[in-house]
Amino acid sequence: MTATLPQFRRRASVAIADERLQQALDRGTGNFRRARDVAFAELPDADGLRDHFKAIRTATLADLGTYLQRWEANASAAGTRVHWARDGAEACAAVVEIAARRGATSAVKGKSMATEEIELNQALEAAGVTATETDLGDWLVQMAGETPSHIIAPAIHKTREQAAELIGRLAGRVMPEDDIPALTAAARELLRQRFLDAGIGITGGNLMVAETGSLVLVTNEGNGRMATSVPPVHVAVIGIEKVAPDWDAAAVWLSLLARSASGQPLSVYTSIVTGPRLPDDADGPEEVHVILLDNGRSNLLGGEYEEALQCIRCGACLNACPVYGEAGGHAYDSPYCGPIGAVVTPLLFGLERYEALPQASSLCGACREICPVRIDLPRMLVALRRDQEERAITPWHLRWLEGLAARILASPRRLRLATGLLRWLQRPLRGRRGLRLPGVLNPAGDRALPALAPRSFRQMWAAGELEEAGS
Amino acid sequence: MNPRAGERGPREAILERLAAAARPTTLPPPRIWPQAFADLATRFEQALTAAKGEVRRVADLAGAWETVDGILDEVGAKAVVANGEPPIAGMDLPARWPERRCHIAGACGGDLRAACAAADVGLSGAAAALAETGTIVVASGPTRSRLVTLLPPVHVALVPLSGLTADLFTWTAARNASLTADAAMPANVVLVSGPSKSADIEFTLTLGVHGPGRLIAILYDAD
Repeated sequence: MTATLPQFRRRASVAIADERLQQALDRGTGNFRRARDVAFAELPDADGLRDHFKAIRTATLADLGTYLQRWEANASAAGTRVHWARDGAEACAAVVEIAARRGATSAVKGKSMATEEIELNQALEAAGVTATETDLGDWLVQMAGETPSHIIAPAIHKTREQAAELIGRLAGRVMPEDDIPALTAAARELLRQRFLDAGIGITGGNLMVAETGSLVLVTNEGNGRMATSVPPVHVAVIGIEKVAPDWDAAAVWLSLLARSASGQPLSVYTSIVTGPRLPDDADGPEEVHVILLDNGRSNLLGGEYEEALQCIRCGACLNACPVYGEAGGHAYDSPYCGPIGAVVTPLLFGLERYEALPQASSLCGACREICPVRIDLPRMLVALRRDQEERAITPWHLRWLEGLAARILASPRRLRLATGLLRWLQRPLRGRRGLRLPGVLNPAGDRALPALAPRSFRQMWAAGELEEAGS
Repeated sequence: MNPRAGERGPREAILERLAAAARPTTLPPPRIWPQAFADLATRFEQALTAAKGEVRRVADLAGAWETVDGILDEVGAKAVVANGEPPIAGMDLPARWPERRCHIAGACGGDLRAACAAADVGLSGAAAALAETGTIVVASGPTRSRLVTLLPPVHVALVPLSGLTADLFTWTAARNASLTADAAMPANVVLVSGPSKSADIEFTLTLGVHGPGRLIAILYDAD
């Protein structure tokens, strides 16, 4: 997986030309945004709650090791088996080992970003374990051989016709594409059997609560509840940054998570798992394992990118982002797309591989505005661009253009000379809809640049052609 | 996952990195956001109804049981699973519903899981209920099955008015107050805030994806 500048541009261009996808993105992100605004307006002091949450996340990350060990001690006391994984390979190996020891050949998966990040499904397949995604959107995407394109609406890019075709293929009958409840009912039936047959249930986790050693996960469909309650073994993979010190903090976390994600006051199901079934429990898993995943996160602690670890993966910044709204999730080619993805993807998986992502932003600040943790994503996008410049990752022609622009903009005289020169040079390139620069020189990709006006503002001002505002 | 002798395992390696980045810090003191609901039951009803759940308000437990009878008739329930917790433990279900198959968690032998998978209705109590969000709290235990409230297409919960609390903050505060060494967290606690739902296909809301497609809370006065 990579996103170089040409790759990102090509994928974004394809997405922009896809009318159905553009409609789906507009509708989806618009719905989420409106619902989120309504939900926040109902809170007595939403801004105060966000400030409070920011303070909690900041303080927790500053002493992350202590809280993780407190969580580990309490989780272990409740019977949870805790594993630590430095990278994706170690995390996958831990899951595969559990499946092998239990003789499990089929796994059901609840919605999880961390297992996308470590490509667990491929590791399980290689070990002879069939893994079935059970979040409806994730399942459709898995059957289509694709990847999720939104943190909380993974199949935002799929149409009802495609859903009917995919479900029909597995059900062995033609499904009505205009009857979404019937599609859902068929999915329930097909996946219910997978749940009942599965040897192992695999989930992510939204947060851990150190005070009680609990793992908390939220879903609307119930896939998280099923995966943690039906199979004899439950394994969760969760990033080390997702720990709340106590239940007071967890309550703040939960009250912001679903509101930011979908505008719900709480998700339909908030599951709190504190160990496997007790000896006299009526039912429940015999084993609960939690795999604490580092995979580059600890590198960010204590530095200028630590703030990125405050993210709770609500997806609100995707819905606010004008670039995500046009380019869609697949342009980023990472489990984490949108503004937060543009920051954490290069940080976790390499700036060289994902050189386009820090550029995939207009720095308008809508992401920072909507973030429940007030993460300053634009600041970090700029810092990543600086890193690219320092490490000479930016392509030569862009570096050259940026250097030139910096010199010109630093002096009024140079700006006057340069614009005069450009006004003359642009004549042959001027079309009716703006400038058409040849390929590599055009920083706007496939789009036209606006042409320079015949006379500059300074010239018009000096000639007294402009009226003062308000006069 | 077995590190070679002399090599640090992943746990030690990660914790060492975290310790190197640690700074002195203090958590902000807990804040309670007081939400003034004139009437908790009314707010609960509004919130759960908005989330596509159903609420029936009755005077007392006898009224609650009559409501359950009515729901079972309406659904045409042939098989019922129930958690053998209060107040359900006090009712002889097979005698009340001789025409329906009943399986009671913690009271019947046999295959609870198969019974839940085949049941038309799951009946439970509630450990608590949150007014703000229309949430029912269900917990695991010897008479409290995880699957009774999860596998059947309809979940009916008997919720005493005394179990209502304002919101998540008052619930966790009460939980903190009651947390002593011998009152540990149940292994599984679920906050249920409506029927199972999805909008994953073209943002069209559908109910009953994996969990119950109908959630009916019967609010009754236990006094």
